[in-house]
Formats: sequence, C-alpha cells, structure tokens
Amino acid sequence: MATATTTPSLPTTAAARPLPAGAARSPRKKRSANVVFAVLGVIVFVCSAFPVYWMVSSSFLPTNKVRAATPTFFPGPDDFTLRNYETAIFGQNRAPFLPALETSLKVTFISLLVALVIAFLASVALGRFRFRGRRAFIVSILIVQMIPGEAMLLTYFRMIDSWQMLNTIIGLTILYIASVLPFTVWTLRGFVAAVPMELEEAAMIDGCSRTGAFWRVTFPLLAPGLVSTGVFAFIQAWNEFVLALVIMSRPESMTLPVWLRTFQQATKATDWGALMAGSTLVAIPVVIFFLIVQGRMTGGLVAGAVKG
Amino acid sequence: MKRNRLVATTVATTTTLALGLSACASGSTGTGTDGTSEGGAGDIRVWLVGSDTPDEAREYLKTTFEAENPGSTLTIEEQSWGGLVDKYTTALSGSDSPDLIEIGNTQAAAFTSAGAFEDLTDRYEELGGDDLLPSFVEDGTYDGKFYAAPYYSGARVVVYSKEVVGDTPVPTTWDEYVATVKAATTDTVSGLWTPGKDWRNGMTFVWANGGQIATQASDGTWEGGFSTPEGIKGLEQLQDVMLTANRAPADSDEQEPQVPFCAGQVAYLAAPAWVSGSIGADEDAEVPGCGSGIGSPENLSAFAAPGKTAGEAAPVLAGGSNIAIPMRSANKELAYEALKIMLSDEYQGLLAEAGLVPAKVSQADLMPDGVFAQASAAAAAEAISTPASPKWADVEASGVLEDSFVRLAQGGDVTEIAAALDAAIERTLNG
Amino acid sequence: MTSSTTVAPPGTGLDAPPRRRRRRGSPFPYVLLAPSLAVLLVLVGYPLVNLIITSFQHYGREQAFGQPPTWAGLENYTTVLTSETFYRVLGRSFAFMVVAVVTTFVLGTLLALLMMRLGKAMRMLVSIGLLLAWAMPALTSVIVWGWMFDTQFGVVNHVLTLITGQQWAGHSWLIDPLSFFGVLLLIIVWQGAPFIAFTMYAGLTQVPHEVLEAAQLDGAGAAQRFFRIQVPYVRTIITVLIVLSIIWDLRLFAQVYALQGIGGIVEETSTLGVWIYQVGTASGNYGMSAAAAVVMVVIMLVISSAYVRQTLKEED
Repeated sequence: MATATTTPSLPTTAAARPLPAGAARSPRKKRSANVVFAVLGVIVFVCSAFPVYWMVSSSFLPTNKVRAATPTFFPGPDDFTLRNYETAIFGQNRAPFLPALETSLKVTFISLLVALVIAFLASVALGRFRFRGRRAFIVSILIVQMIPGEAMLLTYFRMIDSWQMLNTIIGLTILYIASVLPFTVWTLRGFVAAVPMELEEAAMIDGCSRTGAFWRVTFPLLAPGLVSTGVFAFIQAWNEFVLALVIMSRPESMTLPVWLRTFQQATKATDWGALMAGSTLVAIPVVIFFLIVQGRMTGGLVAGAVKG
Repeated sequence: MKRNRLVATTVATTTTLALGLSACASGSTGTGTDGTSEGGAGDIRVWLVGSDTPDEAREYLKTTFEAENPGSTLTIEEQSWGGLVDKYTTALSGSDSPDLIEIGNTQAAAFTSAGAFEDLTDRYEELGGDDLLPSFVEDGTYDGKFYAAPYYSGARVVVYSKEVVGDTPVPTTWDEYVATVKAATTDTVSGLWTPGKDWRNGMTFVWANGGQIATQASDGTWEGGFSTPEGIKGLEQLQDVMLTANRAPADSDEQEPQVPFCAGQVAYLAAPAWVSGSIGADEDAEVPGCGSGIGSPENLSAFAAPGKTAGEAAPVLAGGSNIAIPMRSANKELAYEALKIMLSDEYQGLLAEAGLVPAKVSQADLMPDGVFAQASAAAAAEAISTPASPKWADVEASGVLEDSFVRLAQGGDVTEIAAALDAAIERTLNG
Repeated sequence: MTSSTTVAPPGTGLDAPPRRRRRRGSPFPYVLLAPSLAVLLVLVGYPLVNLIITSFQHYGREQAFGQPPTWAGLENYTTVLTSETFYRVLGRSFAFMVVAVVTTFVLGTLLALLMMRLGKAMRMLVSIGLLLAWAMPALTSVIVWGWMFDTQFGVVNHVLTLITGQQWAGHSWLIDPLSFFGVLLLIIVWQGAPFIAFTMYAGLTQVPHEVLEAAQLDGAGAAQRFFRIQVPYVRTIITVLIVLSIIWDLRLFAQVYALQGIGGIVEETSTLGVWIYQVGTASGNYGMSAAAAVVMVVIMLVISSAYVRQTLKEED
C-alpha cells in the first residue's frame, strides 16, 4: 500500500533515507566513499548540463565569437548580444516565431488534455473491470506502438485532407492524440490497478456511492500517474515534426519544430548563434513545464509498476 | 443487440467529441482557413523556393498582380530546397494546395509524369512559344504535353576576389584552370571550394573529361556513365582537386558559400552567378556579406570555367527552375495571370539584374553588362541537363549523388564509388 | 511519429491484476473504452489496414496524385526481402538498438544508485542536471550536439586539440559511419539515461529498508544486495523499461534524420525508420515502403512475443 498511501518521493527535494551502505565499514572509509560519490555527482552534473549551458551561452554570443578558432567558455559582458534572438524571432526571410509558438502551445495542450481524459476513462475500464475483449485491447495497444509512423504519412495526410482539416490545429491535434494514446492508456492502466479496491470499498461502507468513492478516494491517488503520462504526451506533441511538416504546410500554421527545421535549413548550420537562440526558444517551454510538474512526476512514475 | 447499442454509443461519443473539438478549434486557431473553401475569392498562394528570387521581384509580382486583379491578393510563401520533393508530393495532392509553385528543373519530371500539374499545352504560344528556353520547356513537358513553364536559369560561373588571388591571370583552358586553382591553395585557403556534397559543381569535372551521368539505350534502359574511362578520369581529377586544392570539410554542402569566401578562405568559387549578390551584401545585413572588402565591386570578378580548348566554356549543370500550376489549385485562372506576370519582361528583368538568366531567349539582353553577365552567358551556352527521365528526381531525392561525392572527398576508391553510383542510378531510372 | 526515447514513463503493465474485479457483462467498461477505441480504430486501425493493402500494390507518386494503383502481389515484399540494403539497414538498426538500450540502461541504473548514496544537496544538483538533459526537445538536442561536434568551430575539436596537443580542427565526426553512430549514441544516452535514472531511483527507494538491513546483517555485500534483493523487487519496472526502450530505439527516426541533415553519408547511416521514409515519402515508392514497414512490425512482434505472451497470461 506504500505507493498508494504515501506521497511520492522526489529525487530533487526528497528523501529517501540514505541506505545503510557503509554501516559495516569504518567511519573513515565511509567518509572517503562519500567524497568519491560527491565527485561523481559533480561530474554527472557537468556532463548532463554542459550541452544546455553551451546552447544558451552560444545563443548570446556575437557571430565573430561563435565562429572563432577559440571558443568562448565564459562569455564576458562585452560578448553579450541579443542579436541572435532578434534574428531568430524577427528575421524576415523565415516563418514568424510567435505564431509558431502559439500553434505549438495550442496543439500540445489540447492533445495533452484530450489524450489524458480519454486514456483515463479507458484505463479505468481496463484496471477496474473484466470484460470480453480486454486482453485483445491490451495487446493491440502494445502492438500499435511498434508501427513506424513514417510509412503512413501519406495516409494520414489523405485522411486529414478529406476531413478538410489541413493546416488546422484540430487536424494535427487529432493525429497527436492518436499517437500518444496507446502509451498513455497502457501506463495509466497500471496506476489504476495499483490502487487497492479495499480503499474504495471502505469509502462505500462509509456511505459514499461507488462513483463518489472513486472520485474521492481513487482519483486523487492517480494524480502522479496522470502527471507522468501527461509529461510523455507533452513531450511527444511538442517535439513531433514529421507529421507537422506534412499537415501544416502554410508558414502561418507551422509548429515550433518545423519552424526550427526550416530555420536550420535556411541558415544551413552556418549561423550557429541564431540557431542556438532558436533552439533555446524551443526548449524553454518544456523546461518550464518540467519545473512545474517535476515535483509530482518522478515518484509517480513507479507507483503503478512497483507493486507486484 | 447489445453490440449494436455499443456501436451506436461509440459513434455518438466520437461525434460529440469531434464536434466539441472542432468547435473549440475553429474558435481559437486564427490560422488561415481563408482561400481554401470559397471558390473564386481570389487569394492565391505562390510557393517560391530558396532565396534565389530577389525581394524586388517578389514585391513587383505582388503589387502588379493585385493591381491587375482588383479584389484578389497574392501571398508568397518561401519553401526550402531541402526535402522539396517530399513536401510537394503531399502538399500538391491535397485540397489546400498552393496555386502556383516553383520547382527545380531537374525535379519537374517527377510531377509532370504523375499528373500533378495543370496542362498548359493550349497556352504554350501565349506564354512565349518557342521563345521560352528550350531545355526548360523540355523539362516541363511530359508525353507531348506542356505542364511547367521555364522560370529562370542559373548557369554556374567561377567567382574570385582580386583581394585574395591578386593578379593571377584568368585561365583560358581546362588544364590551366585546374593548375591555377591548385596553385592558389594554401593551408587555410581553398584553391577551389569543393565541399563534398556539392555534386552539381563536381559534375563539371566529369563532363569536361567527356563523361556522362547516364545514357539511354535504344530500348529505353539507362546506363550509368561514371564508370566509363572518361567518367573515371573526371572523378579522379575532381578527387585530386578535392584532396589537394580544397579546405572545405568533406561532408559539408554548398550552401552559404559567402561565409568562407568573405573570410578570405576561398580563392575560386564555382557557383550560380547570383551568388555575387550574397557576397556583395553589407557586413551588417541580415545575411551578412562583405560588400566593402573582399566582395566589393572592384574586387569581385567572375569567368566561365574554360573548356578543353581556349575560347570554349566547360560544360556546367543547367540549373534553374520551372513554374507550374498544381492540379488541385482552387484558383487556376488567377494563378495563370500571376504566371504571365512572372514571365513578363519587367519581372524577368528584375531576375536578370540579380544574376539569373531569364526564361525567354529574347530576354537575354535584359541581363546587365559586366563580367557576371558575360560569364553567365558563356557558361549557359554549354550547360547540360540531367537525364530526361521522370525518375531522375528520385535519384536526387535519395541523396546518392551527395553520398558518392562525399566519399570521393574522403579519398575513397574512385572505381568502386563510380560503380556503386552507376548501379544506384540504373536501379532508380530503370526500376 | 517521432517516438522520443527521452521519456518513457514506465508505466507498466505488469502488475498483478486486481484481485477482485467487477462483474462481467456490464456495458459500463465498454462505455469507458469507447472514446479510446474510436480514436484508435479511425486513426490507427484504418491507416494500418491501408498500409497493409498498399504493401501489396504498385503505389508510386502517380497514385498519390490520383491514378488507381495496380496489384503487385508479393512483389514489394520480395523486393524488400531480397534487397541487400534492407539487411544492411536492419543489421545497423539492431546493432545500434542493442548498444543504445544496454548503455542507457546500465548508465541510468548506476546514476540511480549514485543518487541513493548522495546527500540531499548533491542529489538535488544531480537531479537538476539530469532534468535539463531530459527536458531538451529531441530536435534541439541533435542541433546542439551537432554544433558541439562541428567540424570547424566545434568545442569538442577545440578541447581535444588542447588535451592531446594534436590538431583536431577540421576533424569531421559525422562522416565516418561508426563515428556518426557514436555521436548519435551520445545524444540518445544523454537524453535517455536521466529517465531511466529517475525511474529506477523511484523504484529502488520503494525497496523496504528492513529487508536490505537484514540482508546486510546476514553478510550480503553491496553487489549481492543489489542483484538478489533490489533487482527482483523492481523486476517489473526493468522489464517494461527494456521492452519500451527496444521498441523506441528501433523506431528511431527524428534524431537520425536531423543528424543526417548536419553531416554524414545518408546511405551508410540510415536506420529502419529513416530508410522507410527515404523509400516512401522521398522517392515515391509507397508500396515498397509499406512492405518494409509491415516487415518491421513483424520483426518487433517476434522480439517482444515473450513479453506479449506474459502480459496475456498475467492479464487473464
């Protein structure tokens, strides 16, 4: 019941008691081991954060510093320029940034919400009920994830076209919902199943209706599951670019990844400064989203799976 | 019965869901749904590729069209050359098709043969008839029908800056040319800038030595020409230049040549003549050039790559574009009006000023005087096109040419590369 | 669709089924399932059927523009299955998948173990670093790594020049296929390991302390405790993570496609997804690309069949 009743533990803030790793060793050995781990920790931090740092710092450098024989590791105040961002956001010969941002935000959030809602319903059916066709459904949502979408681009295009939804947010959103749904259902199902029926039954004895018991008792315990699957849906929709390229052919209805890609082609990887500025702009919303949900996310990831 | 009820519920739920969604989307999108459904409203979309068409010409097209067709609007949407065939295959076959599109002359056949374009045969005379550039008319014709009109041609010339090469005389024969670029090479300066992926310029070496991309036998099958003795000789010479007279990375491409050129890292640059515009741009332009230094009008000059004997030009790839009206365009008549403007003397004059060769033979004298125009004209006279097969665009799209030339630039075995390239080309063209 | 390897909430399928379920025969679960079913039937089922039909047709660019396709029988399949390129691409995709899954998994687990040994402040620092890497959009990270490995101005060449004293400027990292996949592996692992690390960490912290302490008193070493107690406890997570990683790494598309745009030789670096795209969308041979896609799904089914069977059994 641990996962169901305790708040999920978060690596950033939280707290699992340190394992009694060194209990059998001498204190000195333990201390030197701790130093080794701390050094490893710093190395991990530097390795994982450096590309992000490099992207951001390059994006503020003037072109002559970006394309210099000696790279600038620590930009001084003289090296600071917003020109790359000006080029990326307001550059004339490429698709505009702000409409792309708007489209991306809308597509992503609508996909996220709709996929979560219908996946949640399905996961309740799978996790709480036993019915004919249940196993077939579970296996097919696994198999569906193996199909390479690149082979079906033309079919997707035809379908969306026949519904008169090319270059519309709804057209792309529908495809994104379908693409994240199998995984979302599959994941949430585990979370639903992990919440013990006894809790609901206890609430029903206390006078709740079955639906009431579900919403008051089970649903709150599913929050971490919804958050972690939501993160997945968010990332999928935010990053996707092949479908977006095909469905959103007008410059004013581009999404950010398509925008970044035309940008990369237009500059052919020579204007690295502006390209880094564009990349930073695309990454910022994801980082913000992660910061908002990270507290709820990581512990939730396991809740469904760890029960065995 | 239960099943039926279930199905009914399913359908009902989906419908409700879809209705709810579309209501919410149409309220919030704001992205253009204009021009898609209303017939004859007259908002046409023109797709131009890359930055080849100068801004003045774009502006002229828009204002002229909108003045001649009151109430109608024209929007230019810029596409990129990379992945163009992929994008057109879907975009032109859908209901939200653009109304007028530019396409590379060597790519046109893939779409004319697929029935993607409006048949312009009846309007051939009106558009200019035999005055249109013949090789481009051929590119835009399939099965006796005329689908895609010439837009412009861009012969490749050799550009150099006096600030970098000094008083080196202009070479007059092919052998002299190769010797000159080799002599101009230093540790930091490419004698001839030959990035590996640039097969278009690399082809000049093959043709200059008598090789071919592919030849068609009488029974219609294609045979690759890189493995012939002439082809091998050309590739070997190109590889020699790539390895000894070139400092560009082996897997880089020919885009943005003004960057190394303006940095003084290039002695001779083989490129379409309009590259002079990018090189001569101001240092603080959005796409910076070096108009007051290496690329200043006094320093910058050009010549047509010389042929085997003095006074001749070497064969270069006939680059350029066609324009066509997609079959699925909702405004074909208006698109045709815009097409006429794009072939007019005024519009083509603006292209010519930017270093492009106009779409009609009679418009050649619109080209400004000067070394670039002379070099262009000389090079255009010897231009060669790619094999006339509807499948040629697939060869280009597969990237096999880039791959093979990159392998050359890496110092790979010429005979093996040529054999593999021929096999790949034959597979696609005969497949 | 771009499946990002970066995020794979492991959700999971393996938990034992709830002991008691509500009665059979109620229409209620079908009502709950209806929206998902409708979406999947229309948007996955129909295209899938279409894909299978196309794989038996001559379907080229003409057909995309409306000409009726003609039947090809098994021709597309024989072309794919006798094509040398297909096997090269397949072998390459597999080899890369195995290396990527193993590396990501081992590194992710080590990171999780490290996080368990760290104090609160250090754990926070490591988490932030990993979170940043994980949150980066796939396309963005390919571009950033491409820039770091840039032939002329890349920071990697510069640092190597400083360290080795030899001239690395001008060294192209993407042109040699092996080196291309090395860079690709770095990108995949950099983005994928944090997810594994967070998940494993969250799983490992659920292992009851009493059990571990008891084992320690019985004289079990750290390695023994890890393999005998911690691993069995998070077995379900590990299975799910591995199955998903296999599927996603085999389907890799966006990262390879984007990295090819930066450098390298397409023919020697294409993976299955990219090859299918090349054959279909780029070259207009939709019939053959559909056949290749069907073959790919069959192969993945074979790989994961044990897992599918197990799921079926446990779901009974």
